[in-house]
Amino acid sequence: MKNVRVFFSKTGAGKYISHLDTNRVMLRAIGKSRLDIWHTEGFHQHAYITFALPLSLGFASDCESMDFRLLDDDVDLDEIPAKLNACLPLSIRVYRCAEAKHKAADIDSAAYDVRIEPMNASDISVKELYDKLNGFLDLSEIIVEKKTKKGKKQVDLKGYILDCSTDFSETVLLKLRLPAGATLNINPSLLIGAFEEYCGIELYADVTRIGIYTKEGESFE
Amino acid sequence: MYPKEIEKYLLKVQKPGRYVGGELGEVIKDKQDVDVRFAFCFPDTYEIGMSHLGIKILYSLFNEKPYIWCERVFAPWIDMEEQMRAHDIPLYALESGDPLTDFDFIGFTLQYELSYTNILNMLSLGGIPVLSKDRHDLNHIVVAGGPCACNPEPITDFIDIFFLGDGEEVDLEVIELYRDYKRAGKSKEEFLRAAAQISGVYVPALYDVTYHDDGTIAAITPMDGAPATIEKRAIMDMDSCYYPDNFVLPNIEIVHDRAVMEIFRGCIRGCRFCQAGFLYRPVREKSVDCIDRECHALCRNTGYDEVSLSSLSSSDYSQVVPMLKRLNAWAKPEKVSLSLPSLRVDGFTDDILDEIKSVRKSGLTFAPEAGSQRLRDAINKNVFEDELINTCRVAFEGGYTTVKLYFMIGLPTETMDDVAAIAELGRKVVDTYYSVENRPKGKSPRVTVSASSFVPKPFTPFQWEPQDTMPMLREKQQHIRQSITTKKITYNYHDSDTSFLEAVFARGDRKLNKAMLLAHQRGMRFDSWGDCFSLQNWLDVFEACGIDPAFYANRRRSFDEILPWDHLDYGVSKEFLKRECERAYASQTSPNCREACMNCGAKKYGGGVCFEKR
Ligand code: SF4
Repeated sequence: MKNVRVFFSKTGAGKYISHLDTNRVMLRAIGKSRLDIWHTEGFHQHAYITFALPLSLGFASDCESMDFRLLDDDVDLDEIPAKLNACLPLSIRVYRCAEAKHKAADIDSAAYDVRIEPMNASDISVKELYDKLNGFLDLSEIIVEKKTKKGKKQVDLKGYILDCSTDFSETVLLKLRLPAGATLNINPSLLIGAFEEYCGIELYADVTRIGIYTKEGESFE
Repeated sequence: MYPKEIEKYLLKVQKPGRYVGGELGEVIKDKQDVDVRFAFCFPDTYEIGMSHLGIKILYSLFNEKPYIWCERVFAPWIDMEEQMRAHDIPLYALESGDPLTDFDFIGFTLQYELSYTNILNMLSLGGIPVLSKDRHDLNHIVVAGGPCACNPEPITDFIDIFFLGDGEEVDLEVIELYRDYKRAGKSKEEFLRAAAQISGVYVPALYDVTYHDDGTIAAITPMDGAPATIEKRAIMDMDSCYYPDNFVLPNIEIVHDRAVMEIFRGCIRGCRFCQAGFLYRPVREKSVDCIDRECHALCRNTGYDEVSLSSLSSSDYSQVVPMLKRLNAWAKPEKVSLSLPSLRVDGFTDDILDEIKSVRKSGLTFAPEAGSQRLRDAINKNVFEDELINTCRVAFEGGYTTVKLYFMIGLPTETMDDVAAIAELGRKVVDTYYSVENRPKGKSPRVTVSASSFVPKPFTPFQWEPQDTMPMLREKQQHIRQSITTKKITYNYHDSDTSFLEAVFARGDRKLNKAMLLAHQRGMRFDSWGDCFSLQNWLDVFEACGIDPAFYANRRRSFDEILPWDHLDYGVSKEFLKRECERAYASQTSPNCREACMNCGAKKYGGGVCFEKR
């Protein structure tokens, strides 16, 4: 038995497949691909798969991963992406399969590309929005309400922004790295929501997760 | 592929996955390569429409033809409709993202009367004029099929063509005719007149309906050479009938997300309240070989690990145990579980239980429909109390603890004693649980009693019957509640308001078109959803149109009245239905098709159960 990890992207229509539904789509794909993987025991047996870091509904990603246990040690891992892709919608593409290097608990941060534009183009020009974004990021503190298990809590996002840079072309681009993982997870939506409030304009943000990193700063693999 | 401009709005609506397509198994073609584009519209949400077998069959069948591209369209939920209307985004098909106006055919499936307003709303969201007479050219032909096509009179102003009976052949014949007429540059009128000559095709515009002063029908007169009666289509050889070997696999959770294998059409039983039991006569089975082959291919291609063996009454399949054994030969090793929906009480044998035990212990569902034997006899639901109790005993011994019992109230000839007997039967099931020695340890039984309101339907022996008024139905609902004495029974009842509206439209005539249009103009849709349905809004519409809904729902028709669907022929004769109605009044049962033939008329199709050796 071998613990393996597949890496996949989720784009286009795939952005609207929730985490729960992604799980379902993956289980069905594994069934259809006839990959021999370990099943849970008991009455409701099902293929056992786990995901390192859930992705919010509406986000695209270049760096999702899923783990499972292959029962047959002789399977060529390089063949697995093609096998799964034949059984997955085009908006989910598996691009790599390897034995897991890190543990999910090693995850420490995630990087995002956030493309921001006004919901109504007439509200503000891209350049103005870009300037506003830079002004916003220069604030000394960015206080938002974060829902936790114990209720709502005020947090200052400013301290959580690990890296960021901005740019603009057709839309405003915000490149961002935020804490991620089981202990502390900051969703970029929080920051976008705060920016929207700061602008007083309804915004649309297209978010792509572009990288997941460990404490040591290595790419999660 | 969804239109790019909706992306901004998708995150403002619930379940955006409903609106983006891109599922595995969807069929993408180049529109330059096809002659006919068909928008298959399901007038309800994605989750409901995607669970429907009919759409899966026709979608694959149409797309097998290189010259047709069939795409799917579902009714956007109200939050999405709001976004679409606010930003001028026309209703689009999921495969291409193209608006309905790009299609030659806009086809609807008519599964329940309360979806009619959604049809009008979908047309208008797609930019298609809702009235047939406002669509002049030979394109945007609006067609409809499905069970409610057996009395489509309330929506004849909106639909150009109705398909009666099985769609697999007639739909393609009409599409082909369209292709020829389009090439030849013919008009819509010429096309419709020619289509009306195809068996199973009903073009409502070619029939004139006149009325007596009391509102009943005086005559239904065909015009332009249309046939006086339109006969449904019935596929007689199910083994050679098209069946898909793959489904479009949804990316989001839908109502029934599993493989479905149709094992036969029709029903031998003849329960007198059940429209499907008459519309789909005679019973036509697939062979075990065919089911085995098609089902295995479907499971392999879809990757589903659950398959539902579907029909109106699955345990009536003549080879049910051999079929289950045959399927389990591959299903067990491939970890695919089999389920038999709509299992009859008497169909629940040890043999069957052995083969499907692996499925789930979530619970058993039975539909005795009436509480007393007398009333079960009157409705011809040939289920006996001791059978039900025995079956429950078998199930409890097998580890089940949950039983759901479905009943109807407002059935013809029903008395308050019959109603109280519903609670009584529930209690007997609870008692049975405690009488089983090896019942599941330390668990108490959960018996759910559900009561829905009876809606008289066309082509049934009760098509002449009045529906109970809403106050009567409410009184009966309360009477059941008061008759339940144990906490082990959970009691549910369905809202009688929607049943009333359903009764109006089920046996409605063409005068209702006016109400349908007004309701649409007033923004009504999703009537089958509690969030949207308002009986008061409908009563206002009827009043504004000068229509008395009780005329349709609560009036007893005489046997010699011309009924709005009398020009449609589903194989069962009016004489037979009258005989069955009179037997109901005498609380007299009728044998099922395998026991004896009651000469319903369906023998004329020349096959199926009518010709089995008895
Ligand atoms: S003709 Fe007889 S056997 Fe055939 S469907 Fe009718 S009642 Fe049944």
